[in-house]
Amino acid sequence: MISQFLFAGLPYLAVALLVIGSIYRFRNDPYSYTALSSQFLEDRKLLLGSLPWHVGIFIVLFGHGIAFLLPTIWGSLTSSRLFLITVEVIGLAGALLALIGLGMLIARRLTSAKLQKVTTNLDLTLLVLLGFQVLTGIGIALQLRWGAAWATGTTTPYLWSLLTLRPELGYVTELPGLVQVHIVGAWVIAAVLPFTRLVHVFSLPFSYIFRPHQRVIWTRPRPAPVNIAASPDSRRTFMKGALGISSAGALLSVGFMEKAVRFFRGPDTTADEDAEILEKRLRRLRVTTEERELELERMKREFIEVARVGELDASTGKYFIDYEMRPALAFLGSDGFPILISAKCTHLGCTVSSKVDSQGRLLCPCHVSYFDVRTGQPNAGAPAKEPLPRLGWVLFDASGELICTQGPDGKRQGEPSAEALAHAQVFISKSHEGASS
Amino acid sequence: MDVRAQTAMVFHLDKCIGCHTCSVACKNIWTDRPGAEYMWWNNVETKPGTGYPTRWEDQIEYRGGWRVNSRRELVLRSQNKASAFLKLFYNPNQPGLDDYYEPWTYRYQDLFDAAEGDDQPTAIPVSQITGEPIDIEAGPNWDDDLSGSPIYAENDPNLEGLSAEEKRALLEVESIAMMYLPRICNHCANPSCVAACPSGALYKRGEDGVVLVNQNECRGWRSCVTACPYKKMYFNWQTGKSEKCILCYPRVETGQAPACFHSCVGRIRYLGVLLYDADRVHDAMLAPDESLVEAQRSVILDPFDPEVIREAAASGLPPEMVASAQGSPVWRFVKEWELALPLHPEFRTLPMLYYVPPLLPVMGKMTAGAHDSVVEEMFGAVDGSRISIEFLSKLFSAGNTDVVRDVLRKLVAVRIHRRSKGIDDISPEVAQKALREAQLTEK
Repeated sequence: MISQFLFAGLPYLAVALLVIGSIYRFRNDPYSYTALSSQFLEDRKLLLGSLPWHVGIFIVLFGHGIAFLLPTIWGSLTSSRLFLITVEVIGLAGALLALIGLGMLIARRLTSAKLQKVTTNLDLTLLVLLGFQVLTGIGIALQLRWGAAWATGTTTPYLWSLLTLRPELGYVTELPGLVQVHIVGAWVIAAVLPFTRLVHVFSLPFSYIFRPHQRVIWTRPRPAPVNIAASPDSRRTFMKGALGISSAGALLSVGFMEKAVRFFRGPDTTADEDAEILEKRLRRLRVTTEERELELERMKREFIEVARVGELDASTGKYFIDYEMRPALAFLGSDGFPILISAKCTHLGCTVSSKVDSQGRLLCPCHVSYFDVRTGQPNAGAPAKEPLPRLGWVLFDASGELICTQGPDGKRQGEPSAEALAHAQVFISKSHEGASS
Repeated sequence: MDVRAQTAMVFHLDKCIGCHTCSVACKNIWTDRPGAEYMWWNNVETKPGTGYPTRWEDQIEYRGGWRVNSRRELVLRSQNKASAFLKLFYNPNQPGLDDYYEPWTYRYQDLFDAAEGDDQPTAIPVSQITGEPIDIEAGPNWDDDLSGSPIYAENDPNLEGLSAEEKRALLEVESIAMMYLPRICNHCANPSCVAACPSGALYKRGEDGVVLVNQNECRGWRSCVTACPYKKMYFNWQTGKSEKCILCYPRVETGQAPACFHSCVGRIRYLGVLLYDADRVHDAMLAPDESLVEAQRSVILDPFDPEVIREAAASGLPPEMVASAQGSPVWRFVKEWELALPLHPEFRTLPMLYYVPPLLPVMGKMTAGAHDSVVEEMFGAVDGSRISIEFLSKLFSAGNTDVVRDVLRKLVAVRIHRRSKGIDDISPEVAQKALREAQLTEK
């Protein structure tokens, strides 16, 4: 029963895993198909490990392959004593080479701190499995000599019987235990191969031999060369027509498909969600409408209050909003009258700073334009080219009596006393606004 | 004629201040990942110096690029198709981690966890590979600004063949001259990395000539790392795949300059389209060393030539690409003005990154402790320059000093001409003479 599993069940399982696993991994995770070389991190011991291992194991596997694929020829060849001794020696040498290499590979994985960062438990398991397999192989070669000859009558027919789906286990169950262990070991390695770094054996780059050196890939299909000899007009007309018709067709079908899909799938949102979305939109609309009404209301007023003259300062302006909802600044001029100036930078519309610097200028922080606070002129070389416009104003005293007005052009009417001026209220007025448009 | 379009580059070395902003921009975008810590797709080297990886220009050791064999065939220096298979297991010329440097970080947490005491806590360096403390022995710019120049500058492979006298003049510590060499992938028209890739994972993009690695096809055979003479192919030790500069194609495709170009402080970098004849690449690369620059220039096509425009259409190039080539600064520098030269043309990969050789160390000659600014002396300075023409020609013209001298004379003449116009301390006659000597005309 157990030999049934080890020599018939396990092989089929292993081959199934090998084939399906490798293909599945290649199709779904081609990125993981790599030899994961560690030469970059350590290369002296790798030379002594990797090269003997690969050369040795290649010789050994080549011998195994010949004995399996060409048993009759191999059988007659190995009947010659000289040939038999030669291949046995070559095979054993290959196996020893592989063993030395493998030993070095295991040792370097265990000793180098850098390599341990790129070594997984699976890598070590695989190395041990391979080592075990090579050791049993060498054991067979030494203890049960001339395997090259007897294999053609035992393991080769066993493998062929597996391949032809009529497993005959009698060929192997009678063999010595060491050989049986070696065979089982081979099936185990085949079974785990697709899950390890060993997959690189399936990506040996044989196509490199045949391909030209340079490789050019066109991301989009390379545009068809224009045939200059052919009459360009008729060709072009035809192409344009064909393109037009086919794109129209494509557009139509896309439109139709979209409707059809919607129809069959039903609406994306539930009625509740629809209601909620609608409600939100309405609310937003309502807020906007209210804002607009407030603005309108404001614009209808004849006067808008700015500040008391006494509140104003010569070096720090007071922000207010003009009739067109733009920021503006109010300062106290040296003559005691207010200065009203737009605070919307004439370059890209940022709000300029309210602080007057030591040279009597206002800074727009966005692109560093300086505006003279009295004239509104930008400094030479500033990104802003136009001056900040002045605004007109009107002054009312405490009793609501109009005592003085000034237009945007700076023309003043009325001369209030200094005391009245200090207590006056500054307004902008529709009729005196005129500021900037 | 097979007209191809190439996204080509010019680096104007006179303007490079060696600030490494390009390297940092690139690192932050592309190589800030496990396995890629040691990679600098863009790096800036001080010349003379050994570079990164150490002595990368020494192809006797690294075996990168192409050579012409005795039967006048162009062959890879690193492998032929048969030996490529043996080198899968072990590649004798592949640079290892020690040829670059072991990347490190610092154990910053120690600064917070240190016990209270009289000493300042320190953050010790730890390897970014093993995480263990390391003694830092080398870094990607260990010889920056000629630090340790007795060791590093003297070992520059380009100094071979210079006389002892020239070497001494170049390396004399008091008057030592240096230049910066920013390097990225050259996106060669005859790339040896592509030719060496056994898996066929490397390819040149047809539309714009950018050289890329298909990460799904790369099997980590590492042949490209050895084959690239500029050592701009890097092996990611974590993923087991090769990586390289992608010329920020996701940025270029959305109308932005590559990160290193975008961040360049000195604005030394120019990007533009070159048209070249793919059919002529192979033959041009068979030229003898001294005429390689000329051969490479001959491959590049004039985008204003009606026949080239016709052939470009026949090769399937969109008219927009031809228009780009006509407006390309690279075309002006490389062909029209013949000012920009390829780096190490003798590697025969036809690099598509060109350098304007630096004039500053040439002009900055000191006489009696003062900078020499006598006009008549300026041309003399080209030949008696502190960074010798020999050295520059090893870098940019495969040893042909005439090519470099022509470029430097042009640069000097333009400088004299502009100074005559701008500062007016040079008479127009002298300026005219200078232009004539450099075979230039006033525009």
